[in-house]
Amino acid sequence: MSSTEAPERFEYLQSLVTEFQDTDSEEAKEQVLANLANFAYDPKNMEYLRELQVPDLFLDMLTEENENFVEFGMGGLCNLSMDPKCREVILQSGGISLVTNCLSNRREETVLSAVTTLMNLATPATRPQISGPGILQCMLRFSLAESPRLRNLAAVFLQDCCSEEQRRFCIRGGFAFSAPVMQS
Amino acid sequence: MAAPVNSRSDCWSVPEVYKHHEQQRVCISRPKYREGRKAKAVKVYTINLESRYLMVQGVPAIGVMTELIQLCALYGSVEEYRPLDEYPAEEFTEVYLVKFQKLTSARAAKRNMDEKSFYGGVLHVCYVPEYETVEDTRLKLQDRRSYIARAARKKTEATQESPVSSEAPTSSDKIPTSCDVTSRNEDTGEALSLSHYSEFPLLPLPPQEHCSFRQKSHRGLVPTEDKMGTLHNAFFNVEQQQAESLSSNPITSNREQGTEGRQGPNPGSGVRFIPRITNLESRKRKVEESGEPAANISGENESLIGPKLPEPAKLDMEDESLNTTVSLIRIQKCKRTIMKPIKSKNKSETVSSSIEQNGRMN
Repeated sequence: MSSTEAPERFEYLQSLVTEFQDTDSEEAKEQVLANLANFAYDPKNMEYLRELQVPDLFLDMLTEENENFVEFGMGGLCNLSMDPKCREVILQSGGISLVTNCLSNRREETVLSAVTTLMNLATPATRPQISGPGILQCMLRFSLAESPRLRNLAAVFLQDCCSEEQRRFCIRGGFAFSAPVMQS
Repeated sequence: MAAPVNSRSDCWSVPEVYKHHEQQRVCISRPKYREGRKAKAVKVYTINLESRYLMVQGVPAIGVMTELIQLCALYGSVEEYRPLDEYPAEEFTEVYLVKFQKLTSARAAKRNMDEKSFYGGVLHVCYVPEYETVEDTRLKLQDRRSYIARAARKKTEATQESPVSSEAPTSSDKIPTSCDVTSRNEDTGEALSLSHYSEFPLLPLPPQEHCSFRQKSHRGLVPTEDKMGTLHNAFFNVEQQQAESLSSNPITSNREQGTEGRQGPNPGSGVRFIPRITNLESRKRKVEESGEPAANISGENESLIGPKLPEPAKLDMEDESLNTTVSLIRIQKCKRTIMKPIKSKNKSETVSSSIEQNGRMN
């Protein structure tokens, strides 16, 4: 990226955040939130979004009444959490518990974003929390869902984020699910 | 305009048409400063929504499958394709499933083909990640993570070295880009012949397009994505470009496939399935071997995360209707018992001899 483009990009993102904070219109807020979440998909923007505290903005959306706010905020976090530095910011702001609550959301996109975000937030330090019994059992139920996307994501979560011991614990706990062989 | 996502989307039920396949209405109330080049709906794209699998709706049912796949192949190698007869389609149109080798190809194809006119019809192209296998999903997430990690590393190196060096990656992008263009030289003729009867503008090939975007960014005037953040084609990383340039000519390989098209991907392919009975038995064996008391499932004491399983239908064991079959059998048996004594007087000798021989009652 050239140096002349960077300030323009930052300023544009800043104007979006400003509009979100200043406007009273729910509709405008939804549009801006969706824009920011989509910008979060491009790694070029991640540094600017961090500076503008957009990760915290997305986290704030998770407890909103408006379901679109929750869905777009969760999508933004799903995009941002792929970046290691953004991941740290999200973890420091108590992201795991907020994202975990979204697993109970009735919108499929929100749930999918939450599962992916939890996988992204898995580090050696956070793994015990992310693969706790409550979340694990939730993922096991998801692996029985009719929705193929949810089933697949849950299967990847169980295969990648859980230790052999945790899987054994679940099997002993009486969960019968026909998942593919889990690799240790 | 708010996103039209108001209906219940229970994760346990599967709709006939997934919500993410539906075309949402474009937003018309955006302020000018954040209006994009093209009017779009209010929607957020995450890696979960994207996929190598695309569904193309609105293809006129006039036998143009080959032409459609040739068009798709302009954006990258097509691994598989088939008509989706089971999917609801408008009259006189067909729906096709197309699997690309790369997610970036699928992204480019969607961006360029969606809402475009094709042999008199208008195509609607969307991602269909529900056709992925578990392995497809895992690889998709892994590729995405490694791409982001690489981009973050490059950025760190670039800022550490010098401000100017941030242009170095872009110049190296051009080299594999030109390789890719060379490999597609045979396709250029196809593209030209397609354009005048498919009503598509003369398509700039994705790498060239990418190249021109980069040049624009050097001038510092136009960001690579539009003002709504929708991008979907800007990150052609170097490795992927090189891989594409090495792949075989997509149109030739598609001709060899014939007109029927191959079967869709087997959902279970690449994954070893263990039957449930085996799981139950292995679990039983483990319990017996370990001899441990049943583990305290502390999760039950915690609040339940996520939706519950749908409860099985409850059966009223006192209901008389459950005894219908039994009652009928009893009635039949009673009738036979009443009938038998009359017959047995005549056949008593035969019956007794048969008992002696066989030791059984007939």
